[in-house]
Amino acid sequence: MLAVAGVSFGVGEGELVALLGPSGCGKTTVLRILAGLTPPDAGEVWLDGREVTALPPERRGIGLVFQNYALFPHLSVAGNVGYGLRFSRLPRRARARRVEELLSLVGLSGYGRRRVHQLSQGEQQRVALARALAPQPRVLLLDEPLSALDAALRVELRRELRALLKKLGVSSLYVTHDQEEALALGDRVGVMRAGRLEQLAPPEELYRAPATLFVASFLGRANLWPGVVRELAGPGRVTVQVGEEVIPAAGEAQPGTQAQLFFRPQDLELGKGPFSARVETVEFLGDHWELQARFQGFELVAQASAPVSPGETIRFGFKALPRLLLSSRG
Amino acid sequence: MAFPVARAADRGLVRRGAGALLVLLPLVFLAGTFFLPLWGVLSQGLRVEEVWSLARVQALLASPYVHHLLRFTLVQALLSAALSLALGFPLGWLLARYRFPGKELVRAFTLVPFVLPPITVALGFLLFFGHAGYLNRALQALLGLASPPIRVLYSLWGIVLPHAFYNAPVFARFVAAAWEGLDPELEEAARTLGARPWLAFLTVSLPRLLPAVASAFALVFVFCFLSFAIPLSLGGARYATLEVGIYYLARRDLDVPGAAALALVEMGIALGLTYLYLRGGGLFLAPGRRGRPREQLPLFSRPRQLAWLPYLVLLGLIFLGPLAAVVASSFFLPGQGPTLKWYAFLFSAQTAPLIGTSPLGSVLLSLRVGVAATLLSLALGLSISWTLHKLRWVVLETVLMAPLSVSSVVLGLALLIAFRRPPLALLGGGELAIVLAHGLIVYPLVVRMVRPLWQALDPGLVEAARTLGAGRLSAFLTVELPLLARGLAVAASFAFALSLGEMTAVAMIARPGLFTLPLSIYHLISARKFGAASALATCLILVTAGVVWIWELGGRKWLYRNGQA
Repeated sequence: MLAVAGVSFGVGEGELVALLGPSGCGKTTVLRILAGLTPPDAGEVWLDGREVTALPPERRGIGLVFQNYALFPHLSVAGNVGYGLRFSRLPRRARARRVEELLSLVGLSGYGRRRVHQLSQGEQQRVALARALAPQPRVLLLDEPLSALDAALRVELRRELRALLKKLGVSSLYVTHDQEEALALGDRVGVMRAGRLEQLAPPEELYRAPATLFVASFLGRANLWPGVVRELAGPGRVTVQVGEEVIPAAGEAQPGTQAQLFFRPQDLELGKGPFSARVETVEFLGDHWELQARFQGFELVAQASAPVSPGETIRFGFKALPRLLLSSRG
Repeated sequence: MAFPVARAADRGLVRRGAGALLVLLPLVFLAGTFFLPLWGVLSQGLRVEEVWSLARVQALLASPYVHHLLRFTLVQALLSAALSLALGFPLGWLLARYRFPGKELVRAFTLVPFVLPPITVALGFLLFFGHAGYLNRALQALLGLASPPIRVLYSLWGIVLPHAFYNAPVFARFVAAAWEGLDPELEEAARTLGARPWLAFLTVSLPRLLPAVASAFALVFVFCFLSFAIPLSLGGARYATLEVGIYYLARRDLDVPGAAALALVEMGIALGLTYLYLRGGGLFLAPGRRGRPREQLPLFSRPRQLAWLPYLVLLGLIFLGPLAAVVASSFFLPGQGPTLKWYAFLFSAQTAPLIGTSPLGSVLLSLRVGVAATLLSLALGLSISWTLHKLRWVVLETVLMAPLSVSSVVLGLALLIAFRRPPLALLGGGELAIVLAHGLIVYPLVVRMVRPLWQALDPGLVEAARTLGAGRLSAFLTVELPLLARGLAVAASFAFALSLGEMTAVAMIARPGLFTLPLSIYHLISARKFGAASALATCLILVTAGVVWIWELGGRKWLYRNGQA
């Protein structure tokens, strides 16, 4: 069984890459291969221009923050943070100083002598981060480090984490199944599905211009309509037939190609425009109403700034052109 | 998602050198010290003049003495287990349902059968229930009788009673643990559905206790079936078990092939029983807590509960009487009063003809053997539990845990035969054979204790250590070993106590001059030197008490405090 195949990417100096995907997609396996905990059947891992595929984990200089933290229960907080320094040539006093420095960095000054089980989940998370950073790894890997925390704390720690990693300038790879977290944290975000990397791009690009159907549907609210390319309408422009209607779109494909039209609810302009849809359900979400409507038999998700009743017919047009997506790779 | 891949990684580790060595070493060791000697038993028992034949076994199966042995062994084991159940079940109830001062002590006491050497039980029984024992003398003085009123020695009951009192705590332990694991809400549900308390117990709790009772019964039955020291010192040739029969054949009649054949007969029976014994493995698991903990009533809070009093007095008499008798008689010269003479004897370096060495020599031998066997069983136990933790193959487990299914007499016989010829004869003499025997008897228990702890360790801890720069070995030394250390300490104390009290294999192997403490006690009992025997036995009781304390009062807190959040 292949857990991961055809995943190839690099992390730049000081860059924070988030790897996003549903559980079971192979994100953790990628991390374990990078850390040297799982030997790959094929492929290579390079670090600073050196191939490290055959090196055992302790000789790679890669830090890993575990999902459940894996703190050593028999050691104190300081013992945990200082563990990786035992294997460096640092003299004892310098080690103690470094431990203190890291504890204050993660906001846990004075916690050194506590036992691990006396800490809250959030504190344990910080200790795990400090421990991984202590030996000054060349790359830091984080395996869903916030998933055990409750929602409010997660958001708070997420901000702190990004600020800290950016301040230290550590190259990091962050794995998560939470799309909001990935978009908020990553300089670039990679979306994985069934062991393959579907797209790796800055978050804005990923959101605005997904490369595959999966990326389009996995991130945020999206409208996807199947259609057939009718004709080329200029450079990077086509028209697509959806049901009885013909819609202009951005993209390039031969006429007659089966394709999907992709656009976000925010791309729509409601109340006027060439098209009409019948409203089915309306939900009030605080700052807007979310509509589900039917257009040519397909579902349309839209956001309205004024209340609409189910059964009404609304007109709509596009503020930004829908994008043409060919059927997904893989 | 990482799971199958992680296992592949582990297999990779095993393939890479050091791991393979760790798996191979115990296998090679067992092949040389266990399977090869066992093969010796097989070929002695199944070969007549260099030709394979069943003649010896058939002759044994036709012999009336062997029939008697078999029948007696089975009958006494069944009766002993049944009587233990009757004595021990109420204690389990008491421990599970009530709280009372000294409860922890009583609970600790239920571990006694697993570590108290049987020879001290035999001695205590003689001293307390014997015709001239403390109980008879007290009753005679009290009731003005001319002859002792209690006559149980040298009868079937003379074996069954000490077995029962020795093993009743096993039932108490199993029943209490199972009971505390039951969710009281089930019984409460039955009550709300209209069942009276006793009916709720009968229809809801009892069926859920039965598995625990059954495995305790199997365990005690096997203990008694394979009992050696008690029938040897209390029964004589007439009330001998199969184990004693094999011992007599090999060591008294010097008929080693005959003993080997009888050993094969016993192994045939024991193999079936082993399955039951394995089912009794719950002893070494942490008490499972499901649901809300049961509310415990203070004992004697209602007049009805005074009915417990006679039971508790009886229990105290049966349990504490013999042990107290041993301690008491070690400080008394019969008819003269208090003395320390027996302890002076214990530490004298002068050779005592009865035991073929000096008492001090016997003590030192036991200590040497105990330490060596403990180290051996820890090394074997640790590497084997690591192997079984990594490679969960049933066949491998069966092979690596095989000594568990061979009785101590048979193991002793195997080593006796094996040490007479190469390759083991090259290693020299008896002391090493005793260490080997004890190591082989004890290490499966070490595996039982260590393996669950190892399995409870988060594999992420070692991986975390590796990503922080620790090699596999230093990850073991700095992470796994400290986390296992407390469990290993408890296992070591257990192993030491078992080795110190083990007499069955020793009796098979030892020659004069190589008598360990229990064997010396046995020979002193045979010569009616009860004072000296008691002094030696008191030392064993003290060691036992220490181990029980470590395990029950200190150990459990140690062991489970490291549970990861």
